[in-house]
Amino acid sequence: MSSLRANLWRHALAWVLIAFTFFPIYVVVVSSIDITGSLATNSFLPPAIGWDNYTLLFTNEDIPFTTWVKNSLILASASAVGSVLIGAAAAFAFSRLRFKGRRVGIQTLLLIQVFPSFLALAAIYVIMGEIYKVFPAFGLGSVGGLLLIYLGGAMGVNAWLLKGFIDSIPLELDESARIDGATPSQVYWLIFFPLAAPVLAVVGLLSFIGTFNEFVLASLFLTDIESRTVAVGLQQFVGNQFAQNWGPFTAGSIIASVPLVIIFLSLQKYIVGGLTAGSVKG
Amino acid sequence: MYRLVGFTGTPALILKLLLVGIVDFVGGFAIVSALDVGSTIIAGVLLVILLFINWVYLFKSPTPFKFLAPGIVFLLVFVLVPIVYTVAMSGFNFRTGNEISKEQAIEQIQIVSLSEDAEGTAFDMAIGKDATGDYALLLKNQINGEVLLATLQGVTVLAEGTYEVDELGIPSSTEGFTRLTNKELNQLGDEIVNLRFPYIDESFVSPLFDGLAILLTQDLIYNPDNDTFVSKSTGAVYADNGNGNYANTQKKKDVLYPGWRNVNFPQNFTGLMFDPELRGPFIRVLIWTVAFAFLSVLTTFSLGLALAIAMDKPIRGRRIYRSILILPYAIPGFLSLLIWRGMFNQDFGIINRILVDIGLIETNIAWFEQAWTARLMIILVNLWLGFPYMYLISSGALQAIPSDLKEAAAIDGASSFQSFRMITLPLLLQILFPLLIASFAFNFNNFNMIYLLTGGGPRDELAGERAGATDILISYAYNTAISNPADQNFGLASAISLFMFIIVGILSLWSLRRTKALEEF
Repeated sequence: MSSLRANLWRHALAWVLIAFTFFPIYVVVVSSIDITGSLATNSFLPPAIGWDNYTLLFTNEDIPFTTWVKNSLILASASAVGSVLIGAAAAFAFSRLRFKGRRVGIQTLLLIQVFPSFLALAAIYVIMGEIYKVFPAFGLGSVGGLLLIYLGGAMGVNAWLLKGFIDSIPLELDESARIDGATPSQVYWLIFFPLAAPVLAVVGLLSFIGTFNEFVLASLFLTDIESRTVAVGLQQFVGNQFAQNWGPFTAGSIIASVPLVIIFLSLQKYIVGGLTAGSVKG
Repeated sequence: MYRLVGFTGTPALILKLLLVGIVDFVGGFAIVSALDVGSTIIAGVLLVILLFINWVYLFKSPTPFKFLAPGIVFLLVFVLVPIVYTVAMSGFNFRTGNEISKEQAIEQIQIVSLSEDAEGTAFDMAIGKDATGDYALLLKNQINGEVLLATLQGVTVLAEGTYEVDELGIPSSTEGFTRLTNKELNQLGDEIVNLRFPYIDESFVSPLFDGLAILLTQDLIYNPDNDTFVSKSTGAVYADNGNGNYANTQKKKDVLYPGWRNVNFPQNFTGLMFDPELRGPFIRVLIWTVAFAFLSVLTTFSLGLALAIAMDKPIRGRRIYRSILILPYAIPGFLSLLIWRGMFNQDFGIINRILVDIGLIETNIAWFEQAWTARLMIILVNLWLGFPYMYLISSGALQAIPSDLKEAAAIDGASSFQSFRMITLPLLLQILFPLLIASFAFNFNNFNMIYLLTGGGPRDELAGERAGATDILISYAYNTAISNPADQNFGLASAISLFMFIIVGILSLWSLRRTKALEEF
């Protein structure tokens, strides 16, 4: 009992913040089952509860929610796979190969990656507009073009993240393979890749989450209602002040975020590890 | 222990050749189609990329390139090129109305200055070819019935009886004129409507579509010798004003459209700093950007650190607390922002309703329509989104601080607050410094936060304001360059972006140097 009293302020702070945290979550959950479709609940529970908002997402032809989910999944998967391949190869080179310009290469990468590509969005808009004139499938307004831009940032961010992990794989393994006459690409594909597979999966999932949540460039590119991702599609639901479809919006939000939250919580350890990796060295 | 199988010898070589072959095939096809539409720059870039890839994978290139090539290509084309392009664009007058090259602009001005003659003369028309095989028109003036033969050299009036008419009364044949057959007419492309058949007084006959031609006159005549346009109707002379437009030499504000992309360095920058119309909003946005980023870090870090300290003891339920309290960090940010936006809605938002219910306010607050309530709201929502991250990194750092330091302080008689202020906090700040700087830089560019929550508003749209009270540099650049298709100023937006590059770059460099991250390799 005394320990509870001594720690009372700790519990109190936690509970206050839990209330703060749950406030919008509660509002979303309640709105999604409130069939009047408003975001203003008078009572603790809405007067009329039902699944209408959820079924609406899958039945209403004006709301291609399943298409958006599909687009997001395709885009996020493609970007995750591409990022991991690019990032892993680069990280391998920087971690395992000794070559002239390696130091400069890493430093340059480290500097460039502090400028996320959306900072240059005016330039991207103009450049992709030009590319559209030649290859509509990879220019402004296309999923393909968006993917290319995402992959542009892949090396900086992922190589950096992966290099730390790769440095921890014992050097003896690939050294003995080299002595046995293996080429660097054999070492990469046959030794390094299988060993790093779990880490690559984690980085891939992180990249997946990142792409799924990306909004700026996606909204710039995906103007066509059929090609939108979940982020852009749901934003259009409620972004416009005359379109306040909160019922289906909240239902869609829950469907979209529950899997991501689960992935995130199960990767917690790695995410926190990655967050502090750069700092604790101090 | 392991055997190196596969990926050697012939199968590996075939796989490699196949992959490079596919890239070459697709790339070659792309180059051809780029050249087809006359885009030499894109074709050139593609060619360089293809040569690079072939050199790396088919020739004896240094091994590291084999691993770095894909990343380098994407990084160069989609990160570095936009950055360089931004720098270049910032030196140009490049905006709606000034988007094309000078040659194209001259061509466009000539087309735009075409007008039908005062009487609205129109002709019945038969399309054919003259004796030399060039296109020619047989015309009948719809007003006075005059029949003309128009060739690219000029028109001749045909006397009655020297031509024949078809069943519709349209002249169909004369000497030296062969009318196109229906089949030939069907194959006729667009080139015919671009042909100009000279008429008197610098006017010309222009075919509109099958059977009809009109008389057009050109008001603005371009003189390539001294690079000016002269208006036939007013006599005004328009000369290159050095800023991407032809301007009336007597009246500077009278400019011809379209203009062209023109180097105007450093006007985009000096404009932001000295032009009162641009400087006011820019400085305001800059101050709010810095204030927002600073307050974001301060508020989220304070709350996150307090929570980390509270959770630094193994109290009951800590694991559950932790899992719940990082939820805002796990939920997709764009969704949280949109939900908060709905909750703050003036009329049906739950926040106003609660405030009214508990008697704190009488009438609903228009959160989005006043600068200070909108800013307060942003800081509050950002706190919700950001404190879990700060909590995570702070609790990680707290564990990294050796506990004997605190014990020593306690033995020396320091109170727990003193020990926190004198020992824990300085150490913590030192450990977290790079992450706090990164967080500052992140919020400095937190486009989502602003765009999804307030859209940068409130702003006086009727007065044509581009910068709202909560706009930060990145959203201001977005408003300037993209959001209004009828008024896009890429040059100015790039200049604004450059300010962001510089600030973010300096911060990052400072942080990297301080942590010696750059010297680690």
